[in-house]
Amino acid sequence: MKKTIQAILRHVVLLLLAVVWLIPILWLFVTSFSGYKGINTSHFFPETWTLDNYAQLFLRADSIVQYNKWFMNTFVIAVFTCVISTILVLMVSYTMSKLRFPGRKSLMSFSIILNMFPGVLSMIAIYFILKTFNLTNSHIGMIIVYSAGAGLGFLICKGFMDTISVSLSEAARLEGASEAKIFFKIIIPLSKPIIVYTVISSFLIPWGDFVFAKLMLNSGIATDWTVAIGLFNMLSKSMIAKYFSVFCAGGVVISVPISILFLIMQKFYVEGITGGSVKG
Amino acid sequence: MKKALNAIGNYFKNIGIAFVRGDVWVKLSAVLMGAGYFARKQVINGIIMFLVEALFVVLCAGYAAPNLAKFGTLGTVQFEQVFDPLTMTSTVNDYDNSFLILLNSIMALFLILVFVLFWIANMKAVYRLQVQKENGEHINTFKEDVQALFNEKFHITLLTLPAIGIILMNILPILVLVAVAFTNYDQQHMPPSALFTWVGWSNFKNLFTDSVTVTFGYSFKKVLAWTLEWAVLATFTTYIGGILLAKFINNKKTKLPKMWRTLFIIAIAVPQFVTLLLVRNFFADSGIVNTFCTSIGLTDFLKNVGLVPANLSYIPFLTNPGWAKVMIVIINIWVGIPYQMLIATGVLMNIPEDQIESARIDGANPFQIFVKITMPYMLFVTGPSLITDFVKNINNFNVIYLLTQDVYVTSDQLLANSNAKEIDLLVTWLFRLTNEYYNYKMASVIGIIVFIICAAFTLVTFTRTIKGDKEEEFQ
Repeated sequence: MKKTIQAILRHVVLLLLAVVWLIPILWLFVTSFSGYKGINTSHFFPETWTLDNYAQLFLRADSIVQYNKWFMNTFVIAVFTCVISTILVLMVSYTMSKLRFPGRKSLMSFSIILNMFPGVLSMIAIYFILKTFNLTNSHIGMIIVYSAGAGLGFLICKGFMDTISVSLSEAARLEGASEAKIFFKIIIPLSKPIIVYTVISSFLIPWGDFVFAKLMLNSGIATDWTVAIGLFNMLSKSMIAKYFSVFCAGGVVISVPISILFLIMQKFYVEGITGGSVKG
Repeated sequence: MKKALNAIGNYFKNIGIAFVRGDVWVKLSAVLMGAGYFARKQVINGIIMFLVEALFVVLCAGYAAPNLAKFGTLGTVQFEQVFDPLTMTSTVNDYDNSFLILLNSIMALFLILVFVLFWIANMKAVYRLQVQKENGEHINTFKEDVQALFNEKFHITLLTLPAIGIILMNILPILVLVAVAFTNYDQQHMPPSALFTWVGWSNFKNLFTDSVTVTFGYSFKKVLAWTLEWAVLATFTTYIGGILLAKFINNKKTKLPKMWRTLFIIAIAVPQFVTLLLVRNFFADSGIVNTFCTSIGLTDFLKNVGLVPANLSYIPFLTNPGWAKVMIVIINIWVGIPYQMLIATGVLMNIPEDQIESARIDGANPFQIFVKITMPYMLFVTGPSLITDFVKNINNFNVIYLLTQDVYVTSDQLLANSNAKEIDLLVTWLFRLTNEYYNYKMASVIGIIVFIICAAFTLVTFTRTIKGDKEEEFQ
């Protein structure tokens, strides 16, 4: 008897916690169907239900809401970012993991320290450097910001490559394969899981980034923005009364693909943090 | 340390040897970089080296020299625009842009440094060729040299591109940041219309001055204190909370652990800027939570207890300094616990079961097991990431900025004078200084300070990461 009560209690506590964690998400979801455009401050659930917010998002672009454009912008930036970043990360992690050359250890230490320098701090300088080359307010500039330094984030991928047995490449070398061939024909095919991780995690950066986009895309022209900037702008003081439920609809639309990708890569996330000491 | 010094010593010794023992061609290579290659019939290598040298000379004369010449003053010619009423056009004089001079000079210095290293490498290579020839060894053809780039020198091929990216996006900005901290670059000195120049340590002095006109010292102390408080609170609450939640879900008595875990992960899978902006409106002064609190009488109760100022008809969740700080920490717990739970779940599954079992047989209660076995194990595995988290929290821009921007207004005049707010972290202060007030000089100084703080903490982790490197274990 005591055991059943305990078991019920345990699940009630969990349920309460889950409710706390999901309330904002639920609010986001239901408000996106609200017939009232501003914030409903007296009721949690909308009084009238409609799909109009989604229609406005996709079909009725105005000077403030350019959702299709934002989505495309972010998507293009994300695709290029993930391709470039993945290539750079693979190049560095293979070099650090499988090749032996003088200065490798110190180069690795140096890049780990450098990677700890928070990007937010040097963003003013990055901004001015890109401005000098006329790359602010351009998507090329954003792609450069997100992907150029990607080579520093090689640790997780290198950790994975370290687990690929060296005997495979030894054998290939004896057969006369060049290092380049070993890289392309042996290591890359064996690294598929970590490539998936790298692709997804770098694809997600432009969707979640707010700071750099805000700094770089400052022209005030809505069609240039990414989703994050566009949605943020909808909640500024003068807009919020007219656009809050539209913001929620926009939030729901990008959250769906992002959440799915996030759920796929979360198991690698743990590996990365604990430095591969977890094999579960 | 000694090893590193030795390596540097050897590096220079080798150049010396190349100079002393090299024949006339090697010595000529010091001036004409291709010479040594021509002598050993490596014509293409020779031409490439020669072209590199020529390119460098052109760059030096056309780019590096004019910029470096102005590096000492950062420009002297003020921007002037003359309007000609006859032709209705305005002409701009040949003005100096201080920032461009600064940036170009740093790049030029970089260029020179790279060239010097290249030159040294060239001297060594040329001398090696001479030795090879004297010993009658095989000298590579150009084709073999190229092939080497995909074989024993493959690391050079692979690292070139990433290195260029890192130099441009990571190293160059840091150098520029450090340089700007020693100038008077701010709203009154904005290129192209105005010049800025070197001012030495005065910005650093400013940051520690606390006077009637300059309140940076006052603000800095306050912001730094809150930044550290925040980092400690945010790190520990989410860490402990994550472990407890993970243990709770992993317990054998919990049904459907996977489902529960997924529910919590959904909360963090939604992009942070969406959830945080939403939560901010959730807790707005006239928001839905306040409506609820008023209707159940909580607002009045808190007023009676004195936790809410009597002149307010709402709970100032994100608008009163005390409330805002507490709320930010609580909301961060909401954001952070699922992440920590994910990590903790992975680690907890690896705790050697027999240890816990034997402790239980010896009569330890669950609490003792948690404190004596689970926690030490967790700390051992996740210790380094705890410090990384701490540093990340020092720079946790998103949570603070998205929750309080446009909402929180400071009433402290001294803070407002230096554009800071009670809830600001050093990074958000820095961001506001640049993005809204164009005070680049002070922002750079703050950036350097943050870097020093972070570096101090990360060096601790760093030694562990390197030591714990298990790279040879599987190979």
